[in-house]
Amino acid sequence: MPDQTDNQGTWVRIAASADLDIPRPVRAVTLDGHRLVLFRDDEGELGLIGRNCPHRGADLCYGRLEDNGLRCPFHGWHFDRTGQCVEQPAEPEGSKMYEQIKVPMVPVREENGEIFALVGADLAQTGQKEDAV
Amino acid sequence: MISAQLNERITRIGPDTPAGSVLRQYWQPAALIDELDHGARVPVNLLGERLVLVQDKGPLHLATRIASADEAPTHYPASDEIEIDPTGPTYPALQRAGAVFAYLGDGTPPPFPNFDCFRAPDSHVFAFKGLWECNWLQALEIGIDPAHASFLHRFLEDDDPEDGYGKQFRDKAGTTEIPMTKLLRDYPRPDIQVDETDYGLKITALRHMEDGRTHVRVTNQIFPEAICIPMSREMTITQWHVPVDDETCYWFTIFTSFDKPVNKELMREQRLKEHRLPDYAPLKNRENEYHYNPDEQAALTYTGMGLDINVHDQWAVEGMGAIQDRTQEHLGRSDVAIIRYRRMLRRAMDAMEQNDPETLPMQDDGAARIIGPLSNDAIGDTGDWAEASHLADLDRRAACPWDASV
Repeated sequence: MPDQTDNQGTWVRIAASADLDIPRPVRAVTLDGHRLVLFRDDEGELGLIGRNCPHRGADLCYGRLEDNGLRCPFHGWHFDRTGQCVEQPAEPEGSKMYEQIKVPMVPVREENGEIFALVGADLAQTGQKEDAV
Repeated sequence: MISAQLNERITRIGPDTPAGSVLRQYWQPAALIDELDHGARVPVNLLGERLVLVQDKGPLHLATRIASADEAPTHYPASDEIEIDPTGPTYPALQRAGAVFAYLGDGTPPPFPNFDCFRAPDSHVFAFKGLWECNWLQALEIGIDPAHASFLHRFLEDDDPEDGYGKQFRDKAGTTEIPMTKLLRDYPRPDIQVDETDYGLKITALRHMEDGRTHVRVTNQIFPEAICIPMSREMTITQWHVPVDDETCYWFTIFTSFDKPVNKELMREQRLKEHRLPDYAPLKNRENEYHYNPDEQAALTYTGMGLDINVHDQWAVEGMGAIQDRTQEHLGRSDVAIIRYRRMLRRAMDAMEQNDPETLPMQDDGAARIIGPLSNDAIGDTGDWAEASHLADLDRRAACPWDASV
């Protein structure tokens, strides 16, 4: 299926659904120079989010896929498929800091065994572009 | 989050940079004594400079060597292939505690502080190093972050602490029978206290247990780029994160034993198994994905990268990129020591720019009288943890076969 352009931007094929038919469905994706991580959560839904943890920048491609999201192995910060941080287990009991933390998310859709991501305003927000070489 | 401009300022260490000028005010580990067997000239790549350690009839020193601009950061030519650049600077060097230290700054070098690693006899110290492909500051910052041990180094099962010689976090906690691995796992939200000292920062991580006791782990930041932390009941680790250049660094560790002489053969063998020579690059690295195994991550370790905690740290800091983009970071309460350290570094950089180097820590003769630092794990009643930590340190020092008195 070719890439499609609509009023939000261009939907670009980033993977086949079969690529995620593995015990731990997590893959590095580089889209228009932005470093991202694609994963399937416990509900079977896809998440495509910035690759570096918003805490101190650890690489979420090595994250623990658990509790219906991706957990950073550095300090256990846990993100859902929208990139929202839902837990910071090293922060003090009762801390609400996690509510303010979100990894940039890129819209993704799955059709006929192919996975597409939107190259548009959200991607530009990820701010994690590889250095031009 | 900090600005891109400030991030540049606190990370870049070449000649004539603000952070580089701070690091040059201190003795830096330049080579292991094991490397002296390389020949009369030993390559040393340090602080963005291409140097050579010269062993001739005169005193040990570093000279500038002729190097091509595209040379690899850890290029290690044979002794007879090294050409000295007579127009470049030379620097004093000397042997201490299994390593060669060099002073790349202006003026008279400061004295060595009387830290345990420099006080212990040769039989009780062992030095090793390893390469990390990232900026020195992110390498240092993981060492002053007591919370990460509860996650990054989490073991989902506990080994027998009796098999833990020479390994971090594999002993029992304090005077208890609880494996450190279990304590770290059960109490992941340490209460962290940071005190500024004459050598840097004293970092106290308190893990309050349900039974009314508190586990106290004291670690230290030694200005500008070292840490001193407990490894086991017997040994401490004093570790420098020394820049090779802006995007490459070595950890240089001096293991110090407060009890039996260090089994150097075993320590060296354990570590050479994980590194290649001559550049001491780790065999698990970015190119081979740190031998990441998702099955292991699900069942045994938090990272899926084996049991060696050095590899976990290496993954964490290299994954941030060559120089961590701190414009994107969000520091939390667990990062309190990092915040305090950056404040000290900025103060020191400002002082260097105002030609005021003597206001930096450990620059005057008093530095030679600094002892310690206290670096241990202890358990005590929650109401009395400070005393428990102090007494555990005194007990260890009193039983020590060399003079570790404070």
